[in-house]
Amino acid sequence: MKLMDKVESRERCAEAGWFAYDFLLDREIDQEFIRGLKPLGSWVFLSMLAKPFFKVESEHFMIKGILGECHFRVAVHHEHEDELIRIERLIELI
Amino acid sequence: MIYLNNAATTYPKPQCVLDAHAAALSNPPSGQFRSSGSFLKEDVFTRCRKQLGKLFGIHQPERIFFCAGATDASNKILLGLNLHDKQIITTVTEHNSILRPLYNHQGFKAEQLSLVGCDKNGKVSTQEIESVILNNSGRFKNGGICIINHCSNVTGMVQDLYAIGTLCKTYGLLFVVDASQSAGCIPLDVDKMGIDLLILTGHKSMFGVQGTGAYYVRSGIPFRPVMFGGTGLDSRKLKYNDDEFEFEVGTQNAPGIAALLAGVEYILSQGVEAIAEKERILMRKLYEGLSEMNPVRIFGSYDTNEGPVMSFQLEGLKCADVAYILETGYGISVRTGLHCAPLIHDAIGSGVDGTVRVSISELTTMDEIEQFIKAVTEITSSLTVE
Repeated sequence: MKLMDKVESRERCAEAGWFAYDFLLDREIDQEFIRGLKPLGSWVFLSMLAKPFFKVESEHFMIKGILGECHFRVAVHHEHEDELIRIERLIELI
Repeated sequence: MIYLNNAATTYPKPQCVLDAHAAALSNPPSGQFRSSGSFLKEDVFTRCRKQLGKLFGIHQPERIFFCAGATDASNKILLGLNLHDKQIITTVTEHNSILRPLYNHQGFKAEQLSLVGCDKNGKVSTQEIESVILNNSGRFKNGGICIINHCSNVTGMVQDLYAIGTLCKTYGLLFVVDASQSAGCIPLDVDKMGIDLLILTGHKSMFGVQGTGAYYVRSGIPFRPVMFGGTGLDSRKLKYNDDEFEFEVGTQNAPGIAALLAGVEYILSQGVEAIAEKERILMRKLYEGLSEMNPVRIFGSYDTNEGPVMSFQLEGLKCADVAYILETGYGISVRTGLHCAPLIHDAIGSGVDGTVRVSISELTTMDEIEQFIKAVTEITSSLTVE
């Protein structure tokens, strides 16, 4: 999966110390991609929903998105924005 | 899109509000008291004040002043009152538009403030307020102020303003009410409830646009404006005497006030009691629908929480995730978090994550509520952690 762009989300939740980014991908998110995120943290996949939802959460960041979309959201605590690089690297490998 | 975030700002607006706003922007600006040739008809400011007075049982509508919303109103009220050495009672249900102006008030001392708690549904006990007064009677010798949020923007709990107003009168406290969530959808009778100062915002249940609001100050209360500037009354006067203050300065938001007037007249035409009843029917459906789902924890109940706001959590998902799924998967807009009311969450037990808040307006439909319940049902039944 190729990361096309990374934009600061309009919903930044900055008051709670978290900043959110929308990661834009070169193709739609599939189940392989969602399962490939498992190494990053606790993993939730609500596959029964009409638009299946996934989430990966670690101590310092959180990823969530919808199967079939070309983007997902990453929220990271402002003291751990370096985690974004780790996520970017993993995405390129999936 | 199904919009269930009306406690933030109502959407949609009645057509008459859209028409009034557009008309105000399409016509030449009215010159407030500046001889624009409209002296034969009632100007929009005077009429809006009168209609607000009618809606809220205020017999001195000339003491209603327009402003930019509830935050603007509460800052003007709390800065305009002389809080020096006054004892202040407020509650954990308050919005930051009350708490932050208090905590950051120049010269404010922590010992001036008594915070009254609430029960798990958000109800504030009148007896507890009275206990605070009686247990700190020495502190009230210089006067006291009681600030109450009429309807919680988190749980929809409506406080008993008649009882608290009577209490304030008995003990000689100024009674300040934040009616941001109740104005336009829950009956409010300022004079009968003994309210001395009232905070209003235009963009919620009064169907106005963002950036409009008003506040009321009963005559005779020592009160200073916090802003000074141009008005049309007497441009040569630079220094005011205490009884000559003007509380609306600078060019006023005439299109916004025209829209607010249309919203208020819409409410008057429907009847606030009828609006409250209509919203209660929708809220009953919401409470009944969600209470049937095991993973859902509701903060309040239909029987106790009478406002058009409901908070819940869903076991197994963070509140923000619930909102994300609702928005991206179902096109349903709600709100999550602390809702700018940080102190209530300890009292109701919603923790650091806050709640998912669903809030309706008079224009919300039963079909929208049913679709929301169906969406939450699907989410709860699909909760599978691999």
